[in-house]
Amino acid sequence: MPILDIGYREWQGERSPAWTRAWVVASTGVSLVWRGMWIKRLLMLMVMPSLVAAIFVAIFEQFASSSTTQNEVVRMILSGPSSSQMAREAGLSLDEIREDPSKARHFAWTYILFVLFRYPQSVGMILLVGLVAPRLISFDLRSRGYLLYLSRPLTPGEYVIGKAGVLCVLLFSIVTLPSLAIYLAGLCLSTDPGAIWVTWDIPFRIIAASVVLILPTTAIALALSSLTQESRYAGFSWFAVWILGQVTYSAMWAATEMIRTQAQGYRAGEFISTKYSPVIMFSPYESLGYIQKQVFSLLPAGESRLEPWILMIAVTIIGYSIAYWRVARTLKA
Amino acid sequence: MLFRQRLTYRLVSLVIERATRAHCPLCREPLQHTPNKKVPFTILSSDHFSPDHSVTIGKLDSVTKTYGTRPALQDVSLTFSSGVTGLLGPNGSGKSTLIKSLLGLVRVDHGSGEVLGLKWPEDTRKLRDRVGYLPEDDCYIHGLQGIESIQMMARLSGFNKTEALRRAHEMADFCDLAQERYRTVETYSTGMRQKLKVAQALVHDPELIILDEPTTGLDPAQRQQLLDRISVLAREKGKSIILSTHILHDVQRVCDHVIILAGGQVRRVDTLANLQRPSQASLRVAVVAEASQLHQALVRRGLRAELTSHLDLVVYGSPDETDEIWKASYEAKVMIQRIEPAKNSLEQLFLDVVRESK
Repeated sequence: MPILDIGYREWQGERSPAWTRAWVVASTGVSLVWRGMWIKRLLMLMVMPSLVAAIFVAIFEQFASSSTTQNEVVRMILSGPSSSQMAREAGLSLDEIREDPSKARHFAWTYILFVLFRYPQSVGMILLVGLVAPRLISFDLRSRGYLLYLSRPLTPGEYVIGKAGVLCVLLFSIVTLPSLAIYLAGLCLSTDPGAIWVTWDIPFRIIAASVVLILPTTAIALALSSLTQESRYAGFSWFAVWILGQVTYSAMWAATEMIRTQAQGYRAGEFISTKYSPVIMFSPYESLGYIQKQVFSLLPAGESRLEPWILMIAVTIIGYSIAYWRVARTLKA
Repeated sequence: MLFRQRLTYRLVSLVIERATRAHCPLCREPLQHTPNKKVPFTILSSDHFSPDHSVTIGKLDSVTKTYGTRPALQDVSLTFSSGVTGLLGPNGSGKSTLIKSLLGLVRVDHGSGEVLGLKWPEDTRKLRDRVGYLPEDDCYIHGLQGIESIQMMARLSGFNKTEALRRAHEMADFCDLAQERYRTVETYSTGMRQKLKVAQALVHDPELIILDEPTTGLDPAQRQQLLDRISVLAREKGKSIILSTHILHDVQRVCDHVIILAGGQVRRVDTLANLQRPSQASLRVAVVAEASQLHQALVRRGLRAELTSHLDLVVYGSPDETDEIWKASYEAKVMIQRIEPAKNSLEQLFLDVVRESK
């Protein structure tokens, strides 16, 4: 075997700046994740709801030229108790919409995107992160791979950011990209050239909703992954956080609603889940849903609360701090 | 035709001449071989490289590090020279802490210095771009192939994907990782993982290479190969190497300088040649049989000699005494196998230092 010249042949290239090295951690992680057959299948599966949402937007826009038909489409979209109440709370009236269909466009698009974020994408996100995130730091702690990363110009903080980048890339690809694609499809399929003036804020809302979804969830996932060398414990804890949170919320919500209806009596047509209740703080899923509703401007005026935001910011800071602390601490061992 | 033959002859002669002429890798001057074949020990590699050709690559002043109340490094002041520096010390002596501190992986309580022209500890991040580190621990990135692991380390050092892959293959060749480079690292044996770690430490062409227990878990053949590689890196490629190890034979085999740490303090810093130099000049003579007969012949000639075994003896005196030794061997009809300067036992020195620290 020849001993090669490790003077590297007068190499003249430029090295990338040190602050960009976290991207190497992220891209390596993404390439490793992409090798998993089940992950690929799950990612493909998670594109399906986006296609359905795109079809809804397409139908809405294709029939926009015929006001009668559009009224039927609007009626179809607003026929559910949740959506009709949400439309009312968003300041829309069905009579106004019948006269000026452009008023319904913004609501219809944001509502479709909100439903996409709230249900299929959030559940898919929980599944995907549950499959990917537990290994991210725990495997490195077990195989002491973090030493290899940190022996290069990389701080523990950048290492954690790189690992978070793996999740961000995946979530971006299943949440943000399809939503932006739906928005673009809506614009392309719209017969009204003025649609862009009515809906210009939606891409920003999509990005904001994605950030709101991605930051706290990656923080929780990385914190759990960093707390153990056994990835299965991290995975179990991840699902437990969401399931137990939802169970606790459901039980407490049912109890509070029972007390309320006993005291006030049930009002027909009121879809009570749209009301803010402090018990949503027990459930990360409900807290995220409430924040997303705020981001998509689907809450009644004056109903916005800061508590879920504070909770998610606190979760994000604490989660990243735990992950950082665990990685930095292992160097002392 | 004649011209071609002459040209070929000239080229072959040049190649042979270059291959057989030994040069100092630092000053590029030819080594001076002695014509006296009776004194084969006149030039030793460690003597040649140090201290005359060594250059200071790093200096640490008053480095102190405590973990809670337990002091790991106490007022450590050091100067690292080019060539291979052996970092010796018993378990818990602070070797790994010193290395991690040097790389900035552990924050020191107190201390300053300069390494590779960079301020220490302020510029440790820049320093890590110029240092190759082989950790003591069995560490790897789960799921990656060997070649991808090396490539990733090159990319972490700032190389683009293509250059990183090219270097990764070169390093895999250099470290003798053949087709197994395409296997995932968790399937590697300990020896292969050590090779992989060496390749990862070298892939960005560092000026300083820090090897923490590199021969741990290697079989004798692999250990020999790794030590050869270390020698090649230091002697032919001009790399500075810090070798932290317990294995004193490895230190004797490749190191030019030795630092002995015990109890978080530096106990000895010197060249290996100086540490091994006995208080009194002497020669170790190995014979094929019956050292006692040679001993008697030497005594008769007025030389002071001491039998160490039935095949070895120590003759006190300078290398100038070799003529007398050859004459005595002729007289005693004892065939000499080897004559070399007697050395202090590094093991004894190490044990003495450890004992002192307690």
